[in-house]
Amino acid sequence: MNRFTPFEWIAAFRFMREGMMQTLLIVVGVGLGVGVIVFMSALLSGLQANIIRRTLNYQAPIEILPPDRVARPLRADDTAQIASLVQPRSQRLWPIDQWQKVRAQAERLPDVVAVTPIVSGPGFALRGDANKSVTITGIEQESYFNVIALAEKIVAGHYNLGPSDIIIGIELAADLGANLGDKVRISTASGASVTLSVIGIFDFGNKGVNERNIYVSLRTAQNLLDLVGGVSSMLVKVQDPFAAETIAQAIRAETAQQVDSWIKTNAQFFTAIAAQKLSNTLIRFFVGLTAALGIASVLVVSVVQKSGEIGILRAMGTSREQVLRLFLIQGGFMGLAGSVLGSALGFAFLMVWRGVARNADGTPMFIVVIEPQLFIIAAAGATLVGILAAMAPAVRASRLDPVDAIRG
Amino acid sequence: MADAANADILRVEGVHKSYGVGRAVELEVLHGIDFALKRGEFAALIGPSGGGKSTLLNVIGLLDRPQSGRILIDGRDTRELDDTALTRLRGRAIGFVFQYHYLLPEFTALENVMMPALAARGWPDGEMRQAAAELLDKVGLTPWRDHRANDISGGQQQRVAVARALVMQPVLVLADEPTGNLDTKAADGVFELMRSVNETTQTTFLIVTHDPRLAQRCDRIIELVDGCIVSDRPNANVVRRG
Repeated sequence: MNRFTPFEWIAAFRFMREGMMQTLLIVVGVGLGVGVIVFMSALLSGLQANIIRRTLNYQAPIEILPPDRVARPLRADDTAQIASLVQPRSQRLWPIDQWQKVRAQAERLPDVVAVTPIVSGPGFALRGDANKSVTITGIEQESYFNVIALAEKIVAGHYNLGPSDIIIGIELAADLGANLGDKVRISTASGASVTLSVIGIFDFGNKGVNERNIYVSLRTAQNLLDLVGGVSSMLVKVQDPFAAETIAQAIRAETAQQVDSWIKTNAQFFTAIAAQKLSNTLIRFFVGLTAALGIASVLVVSVVQKSGEIGILRAMGTSREQVLRLFLIQGGFMGLAGSVLGSALGFAFLMVWRGVARNADGTPMFIVVIEPQLFIIAAAGATLVGILAAMAPAVRASRLDPVDAIRG
Repeated sequence: MADAANADILRVEGVHKSYGVGRAVELEVLHGIDFALKRGEFAALIGPSGGGKSTLLNVIGLLDRPQSGRILIDGRDTRELDDTALTRLRGRAIGFVFQYHYLLPEFTALENVMMPALAARGWPDGEMRQAAAELLDKVGLTPWRDHRANDISGGQQQRVAVARALVMQPVLVLADEPTGNLDTKAADGVFELMRSVNETTQTTFLIVTHDPRLAQRCDRIIELVDGCIVSDRPNANVVRRG
């Protein structure tokens, strides 16, 4: 007996040591449960992070657009309505009013990392007989690369855009049969056209984006899309992509522009993530419940087996609170020991998975992120579950009438 | 000093105890029990089975509350005490020895003897270890002090239980059939041990027994029949050895 160890701790650990096989079995059981939780959580977090990272490669978390134009019916006075049917206005490409001021307003907001203006509109890419519909994006190079990781996605050539340069996607390059240094003609519905040199080819890992997006300098796009001096939208990068909707609302309030977050524009994707999170939570809950029931059943048996000893402890002056703590400590320890074992198992599963789950080219199927806090949360959670699971048997033990307990 | 020596360690006044209170069938087990034990008395509580001996012992030991009447332990009225105070008083002033030893098998003989002091103080210390070792020496179990409770004989286990009952230096030891599970030789050993402790420390003992041979070796015999004390007499012919 260590002189610095309280009575309840001494008794709790002796009880567990005495029932070593029971204790080991339940610790292994809890360990397997925690291992599954750690493994699945790391796997799903990695999967989500991967999808989000890939999506945010070519899409800004927030986009500022000019407000939609609305038709205003003529009225004789405030109450009279002259037209019975009001047709919505067609939305032609429209610049953001005083975009420099809007940009400064957005940049001043906390959580905003970078803002970049773009001019974006439809056009055609022509080369020889090939004619492809594209989305022209004029960019301010310095700021654009702070928001969209285009520079990292260049697979051939470079990204220093001049007035007569263009960067195209790998799929479009194949469709047009264009290579670095080749000329591509870009035209728009208004009749404007320009011939540009391919200086870079990018690959975002998304066929649609690689096929449709082309990048030119801001001024070239302004001329092509008839927005001289103006910009069609602004892209905003934020600290936390999951806070994008809240920040978008703040920008909307500040600038009076139309502001869309990626959370709103990718609603289906977030629904899928939410469903995934829910299923993960359900699995955690049921695994936790199974572990809790295991711990509780072991302790219930222990209380029944030791009722005589509990009775004599109570008769000797052990308080109800001491008996309660004695069993809570056992539950907490089983949870904690199980979580340590489970964390080690989960880590081992992840290492094996990382080695096994690979694409055909040998690259990892998806990045598995092993975060230390996951293990800390698992340990704290399992200990708490152990204590909660021990609550019912502990209360039962503490309420045992010493007379009944001794009488058996 | 004389007053202190003659002071009542236990006073039982008008104690009634019933089971099934408020239910269809209420059974009164103790019908107004009155008696007192002085410091250093060594008394036997005898009577037929079902006569209320164990119930009386539980009430005196503050393990159960009577419906009416009062119990005074070392002059302290226990009626107004709450559960926590009763537990504290029980741990400090009363030692228990039961028919079954109820030693904790997870602990050694020495640790079992230390247990009441450990529960009371919260942490083990050298003083309680020393006291437990001395008691084990007194009951002749020093060589077995580091043996687990399950690794010693029945007689030795009951001796450990007696030592455990004494570690808090209680004023009163209540023993419910302490030799009921032992063979004659072991029973004599345990009984003599209690007698010797009583004589050397003046600890008051109240022993429930069915064994007339043991009862005859007590200073006083109280007979309980159907919840009433039918006789309470000093034992003029105390047999000192079985």
